[in-house]
Amino acid sequence: MSRVLEFSLPEGLNAKEPPELRGSRRRDGVRLLVLNRRAGRAIHSRFDRICDFLVEGDLLVFNASRTLPALLVGRRESDRSRVELRLASHLSDDSWLALVRNALPENCPVREETNSVINFDLGLSVRLESPHEKIPCIWKVRFSASGSALVDLIYRLGEPVRYRYVSRPWRLNYYQTVYAREPGSAEMPSAGRAFTWETFLRLRKKGIETAYITLHTGLSSYLDDELDRRLPGLEEEYDIGERAASKIRAACSAGRRVIAVGTTVVRALESAAQADGIVRAGHRYTGLRITPDTALRVTDGILTGLHEPAASHLELLSAFISPALLREAYIDAIRLRYLWHEFGDLNLII
Amino acid sequence: MKRLNAKHVLITGASRGLGRQLALDFSREGAAALALCARNLDSLRVLKREIDETAPGANVIVIEADMSRPADIERLFAVALSEFHGRLDVLINNASALGPAPMPFLLDYPLEDFQTVLNTNLVGPYLAIREALPAMFERGGSIVNVTSDAGIVGYAGWGAYGISKFGLEGLSQTWAAELAETQVRVNWVDPGSMNTAMHRAAEPDENPEQWADPADVTEVFIYLASDESKGVTGRRFEAQKFSSKRAENHHVSGA
Repeated sequence: MSRVLEFSLPEGLNAKEPPELRGSRRRDGVRLLVLNRRAGRAIHSRFDRICDFLVEGDLLVFNASRTLPALLVGRRESDRSRVELRLASHLSDDSWLALVRNALPENCPVREETNSVINFDLGLSVRLESPHEKIPCIWKVRFSASGSALVDLIYRLGEPVRYRYVSRPWRLNYYQTVYAREPGSAEMPSAGRAFTWETFLRLRKKGIETAYITLHTGLSSYLDDELDRRLPGLEEEYDIGERAASKIRAACSAGRRVIAVGTTVVRALESAAQADGIVRAGHRYTGLRITPDTALRVTDGILTGLHEPAASHLELLSAFISPALLREAYIDAIRLRYLWHEFGDLNLII
Repeated sequence: MKRLNAKHVLITGASRGLGRQLALDFSREGAAALALCARNLDSLRVLKREIDETAPGANVIVIEADMSRPADIERLFAVALSEFHGRLDVLINNASALGPAPMPFLLDYPLEDFQTVLNTNLVGPYLAIREALPAMFERGGSIVNVTSDAGIVGYAGWGAYGISKFGLEGLSQTWAAELAETQVRVNWVDPGSMNTAMHRAAEPDENPEQWADPADVTEVFIYLASDESKGVTGRRFEAQKFSSKRAENHHVSGA
């Protein structure tokens, strides 16, 4: 699978800054590559014309998780050395999984001790409870605060997780969709970033339905290329409310298209429908990996970003469209200088 | 049945004056959850204890935030929406800064104070509405901005405060127009003269006893937060007239 989708991404195609700072001055000022699932026919358009590709009765499902400033810098209690914590996922026993590394400038993994403590400003501390079985540097950790008090402190102390291709630190609100509600994502669920309230009003006028679920995204990288290639993601927490579940069931039973805004929504909906194909409301965790062999039971289409070579997201997209057609489209996208990553252009597969 | 049953509410400037009274009255009217914010966390904690006693069923959280600072507003909503699992039905934009007291004429107004007043009274509510919308767009919601007659008449000596309220009137009208086709309602209320610390600082030479008690003006806010006002949007209310009319009707129907 990964061989089919291996390609080289030119450095210049990394979106380094939010689109509203690139010239269009608008969050919806990005390009839209529309692919037909069966024929693979590509249309090169603009996101602000997305309504042209949707029809009355379509149901768009959004991930309304809000991005946390999930990167915290503290000091080890043992030797006062600076350490960086990247929150990855909140667990059901109120602990967290987090990537623990030396802080800049070294920014490298270090062997940590079980039960060691990291102190942050404002009286916050965290205890490293146990290392993850399969992923070095990922620890199960427990903070000295919990619930909304912890959210308050994370917002005071943290900054958004940022990778090398992003030119400089951007404020947290550049990492939010306009419809973000409950905080919990380590990284922005970026497929919906281009939506504006104006787009939502246009969707409504055209009779296109919307529903919102929550899946708190984990980290997309462990800052180790080999590890990133080898390992599946961590389990992620998701919540589907009754309002969304009933909209999705109604669309499915009426034969209307359910279009996921982002790979996170595909994972949540297909996980929720695994038992009998019916999406039921609930708060659960999923580690579901979707591959070209996965038979999709709920989602008929997806709006997503452009993904890096060998990323697991490309496997997921191949459940919607053949890898050969996807590869062709990606080669075209590179030729036409589409932009990649969270501030980049978008791809609608229907 | 109480009028605000199951409602999830966020009130800014809740530590004293009108905001404090709204928190007390909303909890009495059955609000299920209250996020109360102000710069003074100690006063908010005292208020929370009071509500915990009088309305033990309500989930009350207190959040320290300065409405002139965008990062504080972002954090305020993250905390509230985390606690309320993404739900918010009512936003009361009540926090206001008066600026220097006694208020200087515009000619002498310090620029930094001018900017702080506009940030708190105008930019703050704008950002708060943007933050609240995601929770309201799907299931509907009610936004109430607290304005003043100084927002429709330019009084000499009311400096940045009056100008910020002129802006808030325009902000409210524009939000209401842009959201007219949604279930998110935007209205604004002039509470009139009230015996609060802010008003006493603004007009130190006046007799505060002639002004209304904050408890006398909350009726219109309860009405706008409740489903009783379903469909009402884009309107300006005068709180004291509203209360008098309600009392009159009550008296007539009860007679």
